[in-house]
Amino acid sequence: MTTGEMAKAPALFLRNATGLVKGWSGFDAFVYSFMSVNLVALGMFYSLAIFGYVPDGSALVSILITAVGMTFMAVAYAGLIAAMPRAGGDYVWQTRVLDGIPGAVVGGAFGAIALFLVGTALALDSTVTYGGAALGVIGGAALGLKRGGLGFVLSATGWWFILALWAPIYGFILNIEFIQPLAAVLGWTDGVTFFGSHDGTFVVSIATIVITSGLVALGMAGYARIQRWCLYVGLIALAVMFILLLVSSQDTFKAAYDREGQALFGVPNAYQATIDQGTAQEVAGGDINNFSLGAGTFALVPFMLFFLLYPNWGATLYGEVRGAGDFRKVLNGMLGGLWATVALAIVFIFLAAKTFGWTFFNASNATYVNYSYGYVTDAPVIPIWGFPGLLAAYLIDSHIIQAIIVIAFGAWWLGWTGTLFLSSTRMIFAAAFDRVLPEWAGRVSEGRGVPWAALVLIMAPSVVLSYLYAYQSATFYPLTLDAVLVIAVTFFGSSIAATILPYWKPEIYNASPVARFKIGGLPVISIAGALSTLFLGWVLYSWLVDPLYGIGVGNTDSIIFLGVLYGAAAVLYVVARFWRRAQGVDLDAIHAQIPAE
Amino acid sequence: MRVFFATDIHGSEVCWRKFLNAGAFHKADVLIMGGDMTGKAMVPITGGNGSWRVTLQEQETLLDGEAEVAAMEKRIADRGYYPIRLSSDEMAASQADPSLVDARFKAEMLGQVQRWMDLADERLAGKGIRCIVSPANDDIFEIDPIIAAAKLVELGESNLIDLEGLALVSTGWANPTPWNTFRELPEPELRERIDGLVKDVPDRRRAIFNFHAPPFGSNLDNAPKIGADMKYVSGGQALIPVGSHSIRDAILEYGPVLSLHGHIHEGRGAVKLGKTLSVNPGSSYEDGVLQAAIVDLDVKKAEVKRYLLING
Repeated sequence: MTTGEMAKAPALFLRNATGLVKGWSGFDAFVYSFMSVNLVALGMFYSLAIFGYVPDGSALVSILITAVGMTFMAVAYAGLIAAMPRAGGDYVWQTRVLDGIPGAVVGGAFGAIALFLVGTALALDSTVTYGGAALGVIGGAALGLKRGGLGFVLSATGWWFILALWAPIYGFILNIEFIQPLAAVLGWTDGVTFFGSHDGTFVVSIATIVITSGLVALGMAGYARIQRWCLYVGLIALAVMFILLLVSSQDTFKAAYDREGQALFGVPNAYQATIDQGTAQEVAGGDINNFSLGAGTFALVPFMLFFLLYPNWGATLYGEVRGAGDFRKVLNGMLGGLWATVALAIVFIFLAAKTFGWTFFNASNATYVNYSYGYVTDAPVIPIWGFPGLLAAYLIDSHIIQAIIVIAFGAWWLGWTGTLFLSSTRMIFAAAFDRVLPEWAGRVSEGRGVPWAALVLIMAPSVVLSYLYAYQSATFYPLTLDAVLVIAVTFFGSSIAATILPYWKPEIYNASPVARFKIGGLPVISIAGALSTLFLGWVLYSWLVDPLYGIGVGNTDSIIFLGVLYGAAAVLYVVARFWRRAQGVDLDAIHAQIPAE
Repeated sequence: MRVFFATDIHGSEVCWRKFLNAGAFHKADVLIMGGDMTGKAMVPITGGNGSWRVTLQEQETLLDGEAEVAAMEKRIADRGYYPIRLSSDEMAASQADPSLVDARFKAEMLGQVQRWMDLADERLAGKGIRCIVSPANDDIFEIDPIIAAAKLVELGESNLIDLEGLALVSTGWANPTPWNTFRELPEPELRERIDGLVKDVPDRRRAIFNFHAPPFGSNLDNAPKIGADMKYVSGGQALIPVGSHSIRDAILEYGPVLSLHGHIHEGRGAVKLGKTLSVNPGSSYEDGVLQAAIVDLDVKKAEVKRYLLING
């Protein structure tokens, strides 16, 4: 049997039947991916704002390394989508693939690591810690041995629980990228003060929860239109920023910043004062022209995942995958979104270095982070964050135009925030249909089909975490990176599933259009899955071990928070099994393969 | 009574075989196939004299010998397509004359349904498991008599079937679709058809509706939105309700204990509409996965005791 070029004769004859469509637009896939890997709302908010913490790292090279790692993940995901199209994403993929011995091994490893970390964070006696880890092996292996448990734990945490923490993070982004800058340029000083307070933070988080819930109620059909307009408006804003930065000198920016610092905040010589404060806090270093592959560069990579981790975020519903062409379309959509963002990010950092000044840019970001995270007690020179869109807008000496630019940049947030609860509700539906959650969790309203029960299940913990985020900010702001870690763990699980798919579930793999794609005789999906597993595994290890990231073993709050998330998911699944068994419902039957012969 | 309900297998050989084995495997008393059982596509395998060529999933394969051709035919059939061997001349003729393709399509569909009924008679013999098959909007009318003629399969369409004291009412007719398929009716006429079927049910609560189209706005009917160019809108992520208002109204008015639906492959789920449990097990026939609903009923009380949506 050999493979050649596609014949000119028709590959198949179709009759008129329901569901036969002419495919779907690759541009749609690109839009969703591009807005998920969000340069402004995520990248500028976090990843591109932390270079001052690793002054010997190369910003450019770290972005590129991260993008290469994510490329492997995107290939692995495109393969899973092609092999199990419309299956529903990580939950179903992991459930179908990670069972038996591989499931037990993965589950056991997860369980052991989780309980070991919790024991270590709580400074328990070593005997207790290792005993807990041993129990974790047994419990995790039991969950992984049969289909359903491991997939539920990894997906419920990554697509449901942790999004409750993302709600206040989304709110915080809205606050410091949109509301506070807008209040500032419009001269609403009371607004700047209020929204910079705990109460203001909480109010914006609640508003975010309301907005994202409203977008879920609107449905993806309506939101997709909003998202596309947001893309256009956001790109125009970005283009304006790039032009302003391109045509302006650093001296011009310094003068503009000092002007607005005085006019809006009453701060004289704000530019130099910011640099001085950053220097004093040792976060103003770094060289934009550093292209090294040293340890500092690799240390930056886990930070870059804050915005580059999600090219696959909407990939699970990209229409039918009928053949190799659709596989490539899925992949191109994800990689297009990823690499277009990478290209824009690189342009941005060099323009920022040229016009803002790299030292100032890093100092402006890090002094704000240091204060808001509670790392220092000295308030930043300017009381609001130096959102790059606002900084660029300062180059135009008109508060009205500055406000318009800030509003236009808000499109990056609006075009992305609707995906927050949408993802959660789909995960909750899937779990309800699999009877892990009660039946009511999958209910929708009779009028507009609003998934109110699922919304309640994600809104309620979101409100709680929003409260804690606002009023226990010293504890919860530093957990921001946990929101990425948990999703990365979910993707890590799917990467393992992709790696073993051709060998553990050959009947699924061999029937898929990706079965032909091999390199050196090895399945492409396995190669990409293995590289993605290694990459994400290394990042997870770094997050959990290196104190640079602030969420690992040195942060007891973080480990306990993670332990509660994973523990709750595991307990929920185990309780559901016993509860359903008492009702005469055998959850094992859900995925039991009926013999064909 | 345990009901095993699957639907929309669209010609998948492996799914039909799993369906027939599901009764014994899941200890079901009744198997119900909700329709759309015929395939949507024929895949030509061209050539002859031991050397053949086929393109599946946009990948061309050269086949050498009968064993390779047979293996490919099985792979194609398991995905729900009809493998057809054509010489170069036959291929050229088929390209030139659509009526030849139509005729071949019809022959393949009828032939497959006949084989499936024969297989059902063989596998269900002596098992004591009832099997009801109800064609749906994508199925040509000519398959109905073939199903009716099977010894151990009962034709669901328009027939009132007694299931241990519960009345199974079936129709594969659906509200209009963009594809103008075989069994579609405007909503008012669809409601008339349903009312006509239900009028003979003495106690409507003791009914099971086996209506192919899902009720509108139930979440069982969320399908990717399609534009005027027949392409998915927003990459297939924009889901809209496309179910039947008539069926929804009928469920709410008559309140059967259970309603079984399909049609929308992405609409997998179970919801309560009034007192009725409505289920759509969805479909992943192209993957060879038989999605189905297992429903345990208390026939005395006319209650659903438990249900499970499976991926078998």
